[in-house]
Amino acid sequence: MSAAFASSTDSKMKSNNDNIRTVDSVKKKGLSDKNKKRANNASGNSTVIKVKSVIPRRRQDLLKWYGWGYKDSMFHLDGINACFTGNRYSIGGQTLPFLAQWAIDKLGVDTTREPKIPKMPTKFPDSRLPKNIQAELEKIALVSVDGMDRLIRCHGQTLKDMSQLRNNSFPRIPDAVIWPESHKQVEQIVSCATRHKFVIIPFGGGTSVSGSVTCPAKETRPILVLDTSDMNSILWLDKEQLLARVQAGIVGQDLEREMRARGFTVGHEPDSYEFSTLGGWVATRASGMKKNTYGNIEDLIVQTKVVTPRGVLEKGCRVPRISCGPEWEHIVMGSEGCFGVVTEVVIKIRPLPPVVCYGSLVFPNWESGFYFEREVARQRLQPSSIRLMDNEQFRFGQALKTESTWGGVLLDGLKRLYITKIKGFDPTKLCVVTLLMEGTSEQVADREKKLNAIAAWYGGIPAGATNGENGYTLTFVIAYLRDVAMEYDVVAESFETSVPWDRTLALCANVKKRIEDECRKRGIDKFLISHRLTQTYDAGCCIYFYFGHNTAKCPDPVTTYEEIEEAARDEIIACGGSISHHHGVGKLRKKWYTNTVSDLGRELLFSTKKTLDPDNIFALSNMAFEEQTNETKTVISKL
Amino acid sequence: MCEQVNFVDILEPRRTQSGIFSFMSRNWYPQRTQILDRYCSPEDLKNIVENSAYLDAIIEAECSRTGVNKAKLQRNVHSYLEEMGLDKKLHIIRWMGVIFLKISFMMKIKMFVNEAAVLNLKSTIGKNPVLFLPTHRSYADFCLMTYLCYHYDIDFPAVAAGMDFYSMAVIGRRMRETCAFYIRRTLVGDQLYAATLKQYVRTLVAKHCAPIEFFLEGTRSRSNKSIPPKYGMLSMCLMPLFAHEVTDITIVPINISYDRLMEQSLFAYEHLGVPKPKESTGGLLKALHNLNDHFGSIYVNLGNPLSVREYLKNNTLYTRETLKPVDLQQLTNEQFKQVQSIADYVTTLQQKNTVATISNLLSLVLMQSVIKNEPLHFDEVLQEVNWMATVLRHLGGSVFENDVKSSVERILVVHGKMMRLDRQRRLRLISGVLMDMSNDIEKKMKGHTLQAQTMAVAVPIIQLQLYVNPILHCLVSPAIICLIVHKNLVDKVKLEVDYHQIRKMLSHEFFYLEHEEENRFSKALEYCIENKVVTYNGDVYSLGEDTKLQYLLKWSVWPALTTVLKCAEIMLKQCSCEHKQALKLVQQDVELARCHPYCLSLEAATNCLQGLVAVGAMIKLKREQEVTYEVVPTVMENCHSIIKSILPQFAVEFGSSNAVMLDDRTLSRL
Ligand SMILES: Cc1cc2nc3c(=O)[nH]c(=O)nc-3n(C[C@H](O)[C@H](O)[C@H](O)COP(=O)(O)OP(=O)(O)OC[C@H]3O[C@@H](n4cnc5c(N)ncnc54)[C@H](O)[C@@H]3O)c2cc1C
Repeated sequence: MSAAFASSTDSKMKSNNDNIRTVDSVKKKGLSDKNKKRANNASGNSTVIKVKSVIPRRRQDLLKWYGWGYKDSMFHLDGINACFTGNRYSIGGQTLPFLAQWAIDKLGVDTTREPKIPKMPTKFPDSRLPKNIQAELEKIALVSVDGMDRLIRCHGQTLKDMSQLRNNSFPRIPDAVIWPESHKQVEQIVSCATRHKFVIIPFGGGTSVSGSVTCPAKETRPILVLDTSDMNSILWLDKEQLLARVQAGIVGQDLEREMRARGFTVGHEPDSYEFSTLGGWVATRASGMKKNTYGNIEDLIVQTKVVTPRGVLEKGCRVPRISCGPEWEHIVMGSEGCFGVVTEVVIKIRPLPPVVCYGSLVFPNWESGFYFEREVARQRLQPSSIRLMDNEQFRFGQALKTESTWGGVLLDGLKRLYITKIKGFDPTKLCVVTLLMEGTSEQVADREKKLNAIAAWYGGIPAGATNGENGYTLTFVIAYLRDVAMEYDVVAESFETSVPWDRTLALCANVKKRIEDECRKRGIDKFLISHRLTQTYDAGCCIYFYFGHNTAKCPDPVTTYEEIEEAARDEIIACGGSISHHHGVGKLRKKWYTNTVSDLGRELLFSTKKTLDPDNIFALSNMAFEEQTNETKTVISKL
Repeated sequence: MCEQVNFVDILEPRRTQSGIFSFMSRNWYPQRTQILDRYCSPEDLKNIVENSAYLDAIIEAECSRTGVNKAKLQRNVHSYLEEMGLDKKLHIIRWMGVIFLKISFMMKIKMFVNEAAVLNLKSTIGKNPVLFLPTHRSYADFCLMTYLCYHYDIDFPAVAAGMDFYSMAVIGRRMRETCAFYIRRTLVGDQLYAATLKQYVRTLVAKHCAPIEFFLEGTRSRSNKSIPPKYGMLSMCLMPLFAHEVTDITIVPINISYDRLMEQSLFAYEHLGVPKPKESTGGLLKALHNLNDHFGSIYVNLGNPLSVREYLKNNTLYTRETLKPVDLQQLTNEQFKQVQSIADYVTTLQQKNTVATISNLLSLVLMQSVIKNEPLHFDEVLQEVNWMATVLRHLGGSVFENDVKSSVERILVVHGKMMRLDRQRRLRLISGVLMDMSNDIEKKMKGHTLQAQTMAVAVPIIQLQLYVNPILHCLVSPAIICLIVHKNLVDKVKLEVDYHQIRKMLSHEFFYLEHEEENRFSKALEYCIENKVVTYNGDVYSLGEDTKLQYLLKWSVWPALTTVLKCAEIMLKQCSCEHKQALKLVQQDVELARCHPYCLSLEAATNCLQGLVAVGAMIKLKREQEVTYEVVPTVMENCHSIIKSILPQFAVEFGSSNAVMLDDRTLSRL
């Protein structure tokens, strides 16, 4: 796109002999050039909306480098006191009088000692990117070989990632990071990789929980992380067609904010949407909380443009549906970065609903709540979101109660009296459904009436809007728990599956039982297992498990955890569940891939790879792809 | 080539007592260019544009770029549309028609229309948008097509007009009400305006069911001959086709020729660098006063309708632009090239439809007589006019004349201020009055400050040249061949090389399509041989026997070649020179050397400088506002010597000593 820009950056680079340069040192010069360029571009009657992202290029300035989310937001334990810092979430800055006790009781945490907070590393493996290639890349876009820039982009958000990050023990981190701004630049980078035989890892928000974005440990070629975050423009917005063409690096919250400012919403809200990106969603087949109204990512997307080492893949027309053999654009959906880089996406948008309202229902037990969900799905009466939490989560909500009554789902005063005493619900059994309804006020009221009627049939009782709302806000805060847990020697993780309705109840019971057994077998007595039903479909639902345990007795906590999760997944598969509803396969769930897709399916995957990326530039080794070492390379070349 | 066309004076039937009023108030059911389910009013059109996805997207982008408030930009768009948008008030059109007819009769104008072509057009329109692309030689062009459409019951064309009219009291408003829409001359600097215009034009073409009329050349040609087309407006107009919003677009190339241009003296002064006065209603009224005179005939010649789709051989390329919302679809580079090729082609069609009038023929005869320094007797003039007509017909031009003698007599009345028969019934060119060069005018002169004496001679010659110019495109190619051959014996290769080199130097002075030139060259060569301009002995070309025709050919491009030579000389001396400075120097030199006065023309000099850039004799640099030329010495020297070697020598004195020039003061004493 910009010979002028490239060459000017180039000359700046040359004048700077310091080879290891943090992003910052280059950024200012680079940016001023870019701004000029942009002003020039703008002269062409541009419809491009350049979005200012919340997330800076130096991610560590805003985000916690060793954990989840914003730097200023975290759970803090101090003896019997607990709080959540910062003011980004509604419980921010408030003390949580019940949390510490809950952690002590449930997970055997010693809240009196100091939290283990890692020190930012100062030493990093040397970059293996040859200088001539670096120079070539710098002509295309901004490049950094700074250690921190590389470290924070070598991983996702799995437990193993977090553990290795805290211990600075990654076997391999990328050798350089590049920030292209456009489809064109991505094409140039990929062709450069083909020429020089190095590896590219597309990096969106780094929220992957499958290991998909994690650096392949045994890769010997130089690894370049292609950070998509500078590709975050809205290329056009058509309010009539309700479509937008957006660059794939846009972060969920930026996209949503821009759309809302204009009276629209994409409505795709995975729990990670503050940080995950459009391209990441496509590459993992993400699912958003409000999929009932807006659809999952595959329903939302009209068109994708992908750069592969063999060229660009994009349909020649922008149509609502097509019968033209297999849909090749869908090949990149869920490709987990292994085939190329998604650069641009045409995505549906919707007018903002006039009314958004929350609701909650209390059921005497999991089973009645489950049948209620089943019935709602049968009648296709799902509101934007409908979730069923088990009793464990209900009680965790109580533990998050603040002094000023904030908390997850909790029952106060009269309501509690009514539910437990008059209706006779057992507080150790009752479950909660949270509802998020959108539409006109009549539609919302009508829907609520219908849902309440079905709920009544299954013994459910309305428990108010505040409870519902708290339940949804809790979602974003829960993600921060894992960090505090690790600081106090508890490992925790979530995993999910999709399952047909008829097997759901059994699957939940069996998985819970299996985890309990596995824990007992290893002498772990302080652990937490909880689940919720987060999505419903005609043919089944999505179950989301939380599992954490105290690691005091484990010599190798992460391995122990992984063994138990593996056992749980075996159990899930045996019970008729799937490898994943939305997190994807990555490197963690390879074991179940072939059985899921069949041998022939695996072969198709390989053929696709051979067609799109014969030199394995995108050597992320997710799904059925093996890590490429020197040996495997020779084997392949012999074949 | 030489088609027999039947022209009808469409004003004739109105020349009765009640003719004007009953005609202008008759029931009127015009034919539309498209049959649609819903017809848009002028207000509807503006609303569609205002609410288009394109402008919304542009505004959103601009807001996010500059932080300007969205509502403010929307208000801007709204006011742009108020400024630009056409209106249609039938009663105003009827009144304007009355005025048009009254003035036409005052000017004693006949308006000859190629009726068969109009009827043919009428029988084909109705399926897709139609663009009227007339030549632009006079402000009068603005009304002609509108009146013609009223006459033939075709819906009024939406006419693109410059902002000069907008600011004229009353007139600006009335023109809008007769379906004019206004466009600013320069679009640079205001993105939002450019976007609004783009969308408005696109919407007009796609949804307004009347012809769209604009001037490809973008401005009135001050030299009364074709100038290279501008591509912007046509790009906007063809967008609906490239976006496949319409099935086709029909282009009607139109040539409008005038026996006498209202603006002739203004133009002549502009050529010399005296600035054109600003358009104002007052000025117009003053001009009206001068209209009580004979202006002769106007010839409106509609060419065959051109289907753009057919021209592009159905190849309105599929492009990735289709992935965008239709409103946001833009021309690709490839498509822009197609637009350019269409524009160039249409310009040649306009040229082809030129009607050589007696006015042109008589001017040729008179100019030749000036150059020969021999006044011709009226009878000789008639013979010569006949001869010129034959020559032009052979060259493929269409000539309009019925009875030469009466026509010449008529033209002598029309051009009575420019030429006259003296007492011996010899045709003379009337020389100009000495202009009082006030300080004021001197300050405003664009080029070199010429002497009053120079101007007095130059103005009538340039005016006369204005009527020679429309014919020149027929003569240029054989003329160059003739000139190359008249100095040296040349073989075919050398002839062809030199020809192309020279033709390219004149590429801006005489409209030129590079890819057509090979063809033109061989045709011209064939013509030259057939007509004994040159002969070929199988080895080399040499001059043929027809010295009379040779003479005509030689002087026809003499002024242009002289101008090139002067430009080359100046530039060789300067090596590097700003455009404006170069113009001054050329004028100064031409004045000193007493060349053909047309060489004083700033337009001609500009064209020739650009021609020299085209052949690579110099490089054009744009610095800030200024254009600067840097000479490439070897190429420039080569160009200079080629021109010098072929330039014909005519020892003519332009001025009172010329036997054909007639001093006005002497005249009044006669
Ligand atoms: C707290 C938390 C909550 C979550 N909640 C949800 C949820 O509700 N629903 C859900 O679906 N997921 C959820 N996830 C998982 C994760 O957010 C999704 O997988 C998300 O789509 C990843 O996006 P990302 O931009 O962070 O991609 P990354 O993590 O950066 O990358 C993920 C994979 O996609 C590839 N990739 C990224 N960008 C591109 C691109 N432009 N082109 C090609 N490949 C690319 C990477 O190479 C990698 O293989 C959650 C994760 C966390 C940590």
